Amino acid sequence: MHDLDDHQWRELLARLRRFAVWLTREPGSADDLVQATVERALSRRDQQRDADALRAWLFTILYRQFLDGKRRERLHARWLSWFGGSGHDEEPVGDNLEAIVLAQADLQAFARLTAEQRALLLLVSIEGLSYKEAAQALGIPIGTVMSRLSRARNALRELTEGNPQPPALRRLK
Amino acid sequence: MTRLIPSEDELHAYVDERLEPVRRAQVQAWLEANPQAAARVEGWRADARRLRAALAGFDDLPGAAQLELGPLRRQLRQRRQRRWAAAAVVMLALGVGGLGGWQVRDASLARVDLPMADAVQAHRLFAGSEALDIQASDPGQLRDWLGRHFSRVGQLPDLAGYGFKPVGARLLSNEQGPAALLVFEDGKGQRISLFLRSPGEQYRRMPDGQRVDGQLEARYWSHGAYNFALVSAADDVRGAGVGEALRLGL
Repeated sequence: MHDLDDHQWRELLARLRRFAVWLTREPGSADDLVQATVERALSRRDQQRDADALRAWLFTILYRQFLDGKRRERLHARWLSWFGGSGHDEEPVGDNLEAIVLAQADLQAFARLTAEQRALLLLVSIEGLSYKEAAQALGIPIGTVMSRLSRARNALRELTEGNPQPPALRRLK
Repeated sequence: MTRLIPSEDELHAYVDERLEPVRRAQVQAWLEANPQAAARVEGWRADARRLRAALAGFDDLPGAAQLELGPLRRQLRQRRQRRWAAAAVVMLALGVGGLGGWQVRDASLARVDLPMADAVQAHRLFAGSEALDIQASDPGQLRDWLGRHFSRVGQLPDLAGYGFKPVGARLLSNEQGPAALLVFEDGKGQRISLFLRSPGEQYRRMPDGQRVDGQLEARYWSHGAYNFALVSAADDVRGAGVGEALRLGL
């Protein structure tokens, strides 16, 4: 792995964490996810990567771990419902995150996108990954990146426009 | 001429600044003639901008378990040593080829060092957070704190005239030695920070200057025993005035 200095590492970890938080929408599991990602990265350092490639690679690992976790959760929920328990059919927004989201109106719409859409927008719009890097990180073809990007942006637009700021008080004549 | 009508994909690439300059200009011209599409593209762009602004402070999420770097680095070091040991064996076995390896290593170690990059990094990580060593709303308090830790620093001016009040400060350290980050905030919650440290090997003393890094702007100068940097939002017009006041005072 690349020899990053303390500052670079800290920043990289903070970026990973931000990605994980918005993917899971739950700071607690986000930390676990980042931890697992770094561990996995350490055990698979088979080749030299420059700083950019390292970043994209870590996002890739994190996203795979996230998907694996979701798969396990779904399986778990199915078993639960078989045995009469109640499986969650909707992913709840974590308490902590809810506070942040409520504080920032701009994030409300974003939090309502699907996990796939959030992941892609985070990588492209926030982390500035190229379409090719994003395709690799998400494990999808570049054509799917483009169509998903289009759907995500239009959905975000709709959600943003559908939830306008409360109108200012108007004086009645 | 059909090539002139941009595809949906190209419109996204336009928003993400991923088009070649020539194509970019063509798409821009086309958008100017097609206000409906332009409004759509502008909407995407505005959403991305808002999202970036809302997620900019990624260090102040609640419950942020401090990700420990120490153990991580120790692990890294051990693995690196093991790898170099393995490489040494290979070199012995092959006799040659080591030179190439070292050249690759040097190339990967050569980083581009921008002036006061650590100031911008510190601002990104800490200016928005509450994780400061001291909270101080009184300029005098901050001045005392600064004087205690950095003995050869001048008088910290009061920035109230520019609408900024102290928030607090944090001691940092990097390979150049100790450093400090002083954070100020205006009435609207906009934060700026002053970073100072002893000159490093690379920048003994810097000519005054400024540069834009993403959404941030850094103004830097050397004075006395320290290098300073003021980091503010790139679009904050008060940066120049505040920088000048700090430069004169410190």
